[in-house]
Amino acid sequence: MTTTTSALAHPASPLKRITRVTKLHFANPWTTLGLPWIILGVIFAGSLTIWWLIYSALSPAQRIGALNGTEFGGSSFFIFIYMMVVAIQAISITFPFALGYGVTRRDYYLGSSLAFVALAVIYTTGLTILAAIEKATNGWGMGGSMFAPIYFGDSALQRIYAEFALFLFFLFFGAAIAAVWVRWKATGVVVFFIAVGAILVGLIALLTFTDSWFAVGESLVDLGVIGAVSWSLVLTAISAVAGFLLLRRATPRNAA
Amino acid sequence: MTPTIEVTNLSKRFGKVTAVDDVSFTVAENTICGLLGRNGAGKTTLMQLLTGQQFASGGTISLFGQTPVENAKVLQNTCFIKESQRYPEDFRPKDVFKTAPWFFANWDQEFADRLIADFRLPLDRRIKKLSRGQLSSIGVIVGLASRAPLTFFDEPYLGLDAVAREIFYDRLLEDYAHHPRTVILSTHLIDEVADLLEHVLVIDEGKLLINEDAETLRSRATNVVGTKTAVDTFVGDREVLHRDGIGGLSSVTVAGLSESERRDAKAAGLELSPVSLQQLIIQLTRTETKEFEASA
Repeated sequence: MTTTTSALAHPASPLKRITRVTKLHFANPWTTLGLPWIILGVIFAGSLTIWWLIYSALSPAQRIGALNGTEFGGSSFFIFIYMMVVAIQAISITFPFALGYGVTRRDYYLGSSLAFVALAVIYTTGLTILAAIEKATNGWGMGGSMFAPIYFGDSALQRIYAEFALFLFFLFFGAAIAAVWVRWKATGVVVFFIAVGAILVGLIALLTFTDSWFAVGESLVDLGVIGAVSWSLVLTAISAVAGFLLLRRATPRNAA
Repeated sequence: MTPTIEVTNLSKRFGKVTAVDDVSFTVAENTICGLLGRNGAGKTTLMQLLTGQQFASGGTISLFGQTPVENAKVLQNTCFIKESQRYPEDFRPKDVFKTAPWFFANWDQEFADRLIADFRLPLDRRIKKLSRGQLSSIGVIVGLASRAPLTFFDEPYLGLDAVAREIFYDRLLEDYAHHPRTVILSTHLIDEVADLLEHVLVIDEGKLLINEDAETLRSRATNVVGTKTAVDTFVGDREVLHRDGIGGLSSVTVAGLSESERRDAKAAGLELSPVSLQQLIIQLTRTETKEFEASA
């Protein structure tokens, strides 16, 4: 009978240690990829139906430009906000799980961050393709607009940049919230949102009392889509670093 | 040789509660070690400290000669299966078994497949639809098939029926014989695991009460049964751990006996029998708690 002592594992390379956590987030892609696309699909189907109802009620002459207003619609915004939910779910679910598998918090966070960047790439690509189809088919044959809202600029490149940056922002903001949740549970999240709320109210008060709203509006216009979105990267970076620092000292606990 | 686990003056406080109180012990390489104690005794906290999931308030931990905290070199050799291990909700068991091999260098898929069949685990059902016992068997399978050089099982059998628990013990022992490794098994079903254990740690209210190899521990006490007078004469001033009696019969648990003492007892017409690990631990923890209270 041969007896082999379970030898100490040959240390996995740092990259492998990180990418296996990334893969963990896609092992069952339902939460990270399946559900968001399905919800987006349902919203799209709903929009198409409404557009078709309007379109078919109008005479051919009235139809031209009738759905122009849809480019101000925000029906695809949901997917950005939803990425925050995805990030919160992904971390709160896999963090205690991965630590039981002997993953360090550092490797866990870096691997998860890589997964979030991958998600941002995937979703930006998806939206870009859909926007291209939308343009090519003249708004799905009815002049409607769902995937190329006016807020993200006119050119495809501008849209790609804006969407990618926004996806990153919501994913990493979600990661920071998830880190608060993992570390302090509900109490922490409540305090966190009170703090965020207080900061926002404080900013509003500051702008109101100093009569700066006009100036803010003006500088936003000056910044343009690209400039404004670029500033979001600062918030994204702050969230990402905060998430890391918070998770670094977090301990996995059983269900709240 | 460096012990696999070396703990010195380890403490963990949560506010005013001291969950682990100045604990020191070592566990040699390739041992099955029982971590026993009542609920809330500090077993889980101790294992979380050992795996770097909790941060110590004081003292040092060394696994394979290094600190485990955020140390990938050490931690990738560990597997920690918790009592109520949570899995990603949308996972099915097959997703767990797909991902686990990425993290454990010694993972044995054939062994995992055999265990899946043994436990009759449905692979395609969503985790949230599994029964408590099925959930526990996932943890047991991952813990065994991972063959991590240092495996922690924290009461892994919640909801497992007697047959499934027996399978767990059998497979653990069988696989351990072929692939020796260090296993820390926390449980309060002491009698069930008694035969598996080579080393025993008993923890109560955060303090380490017993740290002995199982053989020595078993020889620490013997049951002496006979007529009340004969037993009383034999016992004399000996340390008595436990005393029971019905009518003229008496049964007394005494601390370890030498060979000649055993002969004397037999000559006096007394019956000697070993004390089960569970009885022994209950009795030792009782007395040691009393001693502790007396000295406090």
